[in-house]
Amino acid sequence: MTKRRTWTYFLPYGLWLALFVIAPVALIVYQSFFDLGHHFTFSNYSTYFQSATYLKMTANSVWYAFLITLFTGLISYPTAYFIHQLKHRQFWLLLVILPTWINILLKAYAFIGIFSQAGLANQFLTFIGIGPQQILFTNASFIFVATYIQIPFMILPIYNALDDLNPAFVNASRDLGASNWQTFRHVIFPLTLPGVKAGVQAVFIPSLSLFMLTRLIGGNKVITLGTAIEEHFLTTMNWGMGSTIGVVLIIAMIIVMLLTGDQKSKGGTPR
Amino acid sequence: MTEPIITLRNVTKRYDSHTILKNINLTLESGKFYTLLGPSGCGKTTILRAIAGFMQVSEGDVLFAGKRINEVPANKRNVNTVFQDYALFPHMTVAENVAFGLTLKKVAKDEIAQRVAQALKLVQLADYGDRAISELSGGQQQRIAIARAIVMAPKVLLLDEPLSALDAKLRRQMQYELRDLQQRLGITFLFVTHDQEEALAMSDEIFVMNQGEILQSGSPVDIYDEPINHFVANFIGESNILPAKMIADFQVAFGGHQFECADAGIPDNEPVEVVIRPEDLTLTTLDQAKLTVTIDTQLFRGDYYEIAATDNLGNAWLIHSVNPAEDGETIGITFRPQDLHVMRFGEKEAEFDARLETYEELEDDDVDET
Amino acid sequence: MKHKFANVYLILVFLILYAPIIFLIAYSFSQGETMTNFHGFTWRHYQTLFSDSRMLAIVANTLLVALLSALIATLIGTLGALSITRTTKRVTRESLLALNNVLMVSPDVIIGASFLIFFTMLKIPLGFGTVLMSHIAFEIPIVVLMVLPRLREMSASLLDAAQDLGATTRQLLTQVIIPFISPGIFAGFFMALTYSLDDFAVTFFVTGNGFSTLSVEIYSRARQGINLEINALSGVMFLFSLLLVGGYYWIQQASHKRRQRKREVAS
Repeated sequence: MTKRRTWTYFLPYGLWLALFVIAPVALIVYQSFFDLGHHFTFSNYSTYFQSATYLKMTANSVWYAFLITLFTGLISYPTAYFIHQLKHRQFWLLLVILPTWINILLKAYAFIGIFSQAGLANQFLTFIGIGPQQILFTNASFIFVATYIQIPFMILPIYNALDDLNPAFVNASRDLGASNWQTFRHVIFPLTLPGVKAGVQAVFIPSLSLFMLTRLIGGNKVITLGTAIEEHFLTTMNWGMGSTIGVVLIIAMIIVMLLTGDQKSKGGTPR
Repeated sequence: MTEPIITLRNVTKRYDSHTILKNINLTLESGKFYTLLGPSGCGKTTILRAIAGFMQVSEGDVLFAGKRINEVPANKRNVNTVFQDYALFPHMTVAENVAFGLTLKKVAKDEIAQRVAQALKLVQLADYGDRAISELSGGQQQRIAIARAIVMAPKVLLLDEPLSALDAKLRRQMQYELRDLQQRLGITFLFVTHDQEEALAMSDEIFVMNQGEILQSGSPVDIYDEPINHFVANFIGESNILPAKMIADFQVAFGGHQFECADAGIPDNEPVEVVIRPEDLTLTTLDQAKLTVTIDTQLFRGDYYEIAATDNLGNAWLIHSVNPAEDGETIGITFRPQDLHVMRFGEKEAEFDARLETYEELEDDDVDET
Repeated sequence: MKHKFANVYLILVFLILYAPIIFLIAYSFSQGETMTNFHGFTWRHYQTLFSDSRMLAIVANTLLVALLSALIATLIGTLGALSITRTTKRVTRESLLALNNVLMVSPDVIIGASFLIFFTMLKIPLGFGTVLMSHIAFEIPIVVLMVLPRLREMSASLLDAAQDLGATTRQLLTQVIIPFISPGIFAGFFMALTYSLDDFAVTFFVTGNGFSTLSVEIYSRARQGINLEINALSGVMFLFSLLLVGGYYWIQQASHKRRQRKREVAS
């Protein structure tokens, strides 16, 4: 009786799992083995791995995602750390979260204005005597805007890791003679590394696939894996090739997850 | 009297409008085992944090070997702490944890290895250096936390309720080990606990605290036998506390009778309280009784019977007796004059000590005369 | 000294975080047509926005999709969380959780592309229906993740106690479990709502020609260049986000306070 009722509870969720989680992943893998004429083929993969353009695009995409993640991390860790020391830190954290509630496209659109020929950035450059530059549609502007968008997603997990850190560890370290910097290097940073890893996960994978930014800000100079997929699916209609790149992206994602997943560390939090 | 190693002088600590420590004065001498005892929230851990340097006091001085250290940061103080939850670094092995402080000091590698090994041996975990912290039991973590602190050779070791997470049996064993360790190392231990048994068992001197004040300090025996007030008497050990009236020196009245006692220096006819420990009461026959009580209930506690009784004025009595009584039985109880302890309302420790001194001298004089 | 550095750093970061948003909204009041020089105050762009019937229809569509999908996702997600906690085998539970998180970690393009293949294979015409289904699909896992911790906090003895006092399975669910996890359900609903409002990539793939949401519309307009009507739209959306955030935190705070009060009573 109760067993059967449990099943009816599970049914909608189970259907969702089957139809919208398992089936789509299977379909994208399946589709990657078909060419434009709907014939089964391995040619998508052979094209991908033999084409310098595709490989270079992949390498570029990974490299840009790496740079975006790096800059995001460098900016976010100190931010999270300093916010955590503030008195009204919950409020400041809320201020970090607030921009994420604003549509990503509006933020990208704002930068179109800021980076435009006569925009705010160029007015500033003129003011300090450098003179106006082409900012929009450059790689640097793409990295800048992507970093801007990702910062809150890096700050949050790091902040949470700092918040989870038992303050007794910091006291213990100070008690044993460590200076502030030594305490940070030997105790705080290693113990908040899981937060950094979570942040890397949250930033790196989306950075591989930000196709709207490459279009609006990068001016198609940077082609990420995401841009390539979008183009194959919606412009050239070569779904097979698009799915192949999708599979590559999924594999890249799995690698990142494995690298940043929690390895069984030698420690473990004592009670 | 040896050189004081730690002195707190008129120390007060406030958070916002909340006063956590009220004018604390205390002196710790080298090589002794001290305990701060009190209920949770009484400020005992705050004193520890002030000495360790995790917190700035609002007023007053913290002195280390005669030098004011209020502004010295925690990492520059020659005191170390064993934390309540141990605070062992989970990302390091046992040996790395113990070596942590020495590594920071840039002590030579060989010396570190040797001192770590020695410290681990001292806490009887010599072979555990390569273990992960998560592999250790609570008791083992406790010992590593101690090893990590004593390897730094501090002048004072601060212990913040270190035994509270252990089960009763292990706690007893650790009490012996801590006491033994303190005596072998010959350094000052300042131990914080809310467990009066622990405090009585281990300490050279106890500071009893409540609501941010030190109520009484002294040897375990002194505090147990001569509690300064109702709170201390109640907090330490079990006691019968009765309203009484001081008739004259060495004469006190309660329960409708007048008894000889060992206290003096109190104005005649002052209302006071009298403490009698349950183990100082002896069951006796009615004709030898100082007081008559009716037995209500009794519990067998293993090595004694805990008997609850009521006297004819309605006062409740707690009696520890080797022999059982019978429920409902009317029985006599007796006690010796020195088993009575008289407490004045609102008497401070200084006044109490001064009063004690006057009549104890008197007693000594009496002894000389005879 | 060190404190000063921290403050300057934080001020800089927050300046960068908010400058584009302030910039965007400020120009929605500018009389000019570009985001270069401010030409004096006007409500004109807001008037244009509110008389733009195409835009208003899209706003209505977006809100409809968001509310409907969030409601359905909350229902399915809560049931899912309940069944996940019901599983007794550790392996089953962990594989369910892993599957649950697939859509959380997958890049938007992958979700969008794979859903597009899925709908095309089933010959479902692209439009409102596919967008709604997709939104429900990617909102379910966040609801599960919001509800699960509350379910875990619920002690087994609480359920035992309820049963001991004679509660039937149904009463157990409606009178003990659901009230206890309701903060998680609310949080899940709000998160689902924001996921829906925030989504661009998935919608972009599965929307087809006839149907559009705000994100897709902004994208196509932004590709055509600056149009201060979009700035006015940002102003409205920012206000809306503030209200949503406010509402979300109000609920969180209220449940937090209630829990605290309960704890105070208990101790």
